[in-house]
Amino acid sequence: MKAAALGRPGATALGPWALGALLLLLLLALPLAGLDAYWVYTATIGFYYALLAASWSLLVGYVGRISFAQAAMAGLGAYASTLSILHLGLPIPLGIAIAVLVTAALGLFIGWLSLRLHGAYLGLTTIGVAEILRITVTAEHEVTRGSLGLQAPALIEGGSRTAYYYALLAALLVSLALMGLALRSRVGLFFQAIREDEDGAASLGVRVTLWKVLAFAASSAFAGFAGALYAHTVQLISPAMMSLQEMGFVLAMAVIGGFHNIVYAAIGGLALQFALEWLRAIGEWRLAIFGLLAILMLRLVPNGVCGTIVEPLSKGRPR
Amino acid sequence: MSWLAIGEQAINGLVVSVFYALAALGLSLIFGVLRIVNFAHGELYMMGGFAYWLAVSTLGVPPVLGVVGAAVVLFAVGAVIEILLVRPVYTGKVDRPDEYAIMITFALAVLLQNLMLAVFGPWPQRPTPLFRGRVEIGELIISGDRLAAAAVGALLILLLLLALRYSWAGKAVRAVSQDREAAQYLGLRVRNVSLLAFGLGSALAGTAGALMGPVFNVTPVMGVIPVIKAYVVVVLGGLGSIPGAILGALILGQVETFATVLIPDTTRALAYKDAYGLLVLILVLLVRPQGLFGTRERRA
Repeated sequence: MKAAALGRPGATALGPWALGALLLLLLLALPLAGLDAYWVYTATIGFYYALLAASWSLLVGYVGRISFAQAAMAGLGAYASTLSILHLGLPIPLGIAIAVLVTAALGLFIGWLSLRLHGAYLGLTTIGVAEILRITVTAEHEVTRGSLGLQAPALIEGGSRTAYYYALLAALLVSLALMGLALRSRVGLFFQAIREDEDGAASLGVRVTLWKVLAFAASSAFAGFAGALYAHTVQLISPAMMSLQEMGFVLAMAVIGGFHNIVYAAIGGLALQFALEWLRAIGEWRLAIFGLLAILMLRLVPNGVCGTIVEPLSKGRPR
Repeated sequence: MSWLAIGEQAINGLVVSVFYALAALGLSLIFGVLRIVNFAHGELYMMGGFAYWLAVSTLGVPPVLGVVGAAVVLFAVGAVIEILLVRPVYTGKVDRPDEYAIMITFALAVLLQNLMLAVFGPWPQRPTPLFRGRVEIGELIISGDRLAAAAVGALLILLLLLALRYSWAGKAVRAVSQDREAAQYLGLRVRNVSLLAFGLGSALAGTAGALMGPVFNVTPVMGVIPVIKAYVVVVLGGLGSIPGAILGALILGQVETFATVLIPDTTRALAYKDAYGLLVLILVLLVRPQGLFGTRERRA
């Protein structure tokens, strides 16, 4: 705070890092500090949403391309992993790897197909893809058991809730670190250049086509990874996780946390999942409130809650 | 298939087409003037259904006035949304207006759907339709509530077309759709036209919901499927094109009806019914983003 107040140029802002470290310590310590098993489980699901929201922000916040297929991609990952394990007898890590490959491949394909499309046109295309995926999973009930739901094998055989908590937290942190490393390298600059001015970026030698397609693939792959982990944690998946309503929930998470930053979006995901359980008493009003909050954020505080708290601490540093 | 069955299916398709057109026209009108896709359109449709249900079942208003009431209420709702949320898109108050418009309308859909779920619960309501009974044309039998809704819908579409063609406001809407800046230079109050377009688009969605509510039940999620059809229709016809939306609706109605009949496995055919249109949507966007009648933009 002081460094920002003094406005020292080039000061390494410790504020955001300190806050991040504090949050991380808190998350690492919570189950050991005797957090109720119910809340441990809530946090575990929260890590899934955090990863999903972060993967969405990777595409929307950095490259400026909007996809409404993120929840459907998570669902595809969940079904790809579960079905390959059930039918091919693969070990679970291999199933998850297949989920990542399948969603990355589909993301690559959609990214390539929709290269020419922007804004609302891209939004409509991804809605089309998402709904086709959901309808197919629902319709092919002989394979997927449709809306009845499919039982998925457990990630950790006989694992306690705490074990799952740390497994998903680790997956979230590794994924965020991978995304963060990529975004801090030249790739992150390419992404932002494409977001700000595609033609300008291309004229300066950025391989716009390549990076747009890769961004789509990476974002989808992280969503698929999240979905596969979710499947083996909850151990029951249904096409409902691919619905546009679920997508709206993920959008609200990223927007409320701050969709211009993967970590803010992740925090939004975790926080909203907690709020969802904590406010159980008010039923459907919760999601209405999240929708309202997302609207207010977009309209008045586009940086999101985290961005508004953290940004003043790191003034003078380019994001 | 016998000729009778084919005729029956074709008429069914036609009735469905009118519903699709009514839901899609508002979307196209809004896109034409504001260059945004209203991702909350399905929720406005749903609110029209609830407005009709409240008017008819709770207040005891006659069905015809219920439809009018839904249109008026939704016009007001649309106007408020335009002023509060959509206006920043073209007054330069937000960074990256395209992105903002998409996300704000999607978030609005989340809000409206869950708000209605919280207030009215998930239970389906079935308000009194405009007309009960069946209509027989020769050997063809069509349920009356559908036919009445389609007839009123077709009449409204005709009225809208006439208004767009001949009225001053209609001409203003078309002028802004064609060239926003030129319209402004020529003295049109573009801000008022935008308000009118969003209000009118919402009223059309609301009317569609009010007409369809008694046929397909009124629930908070009733807008989810129809709005996807509306997306398909407007993309097929060309975003922003009114004749395109009507033609798109006619095509989609027939495609869906016959594609379902032609697949032998009935349960699977029904399950995939909603997917055909989506395939059409993706193909059109990839091959010809401006659709059948849309204007080509430098960047889709």
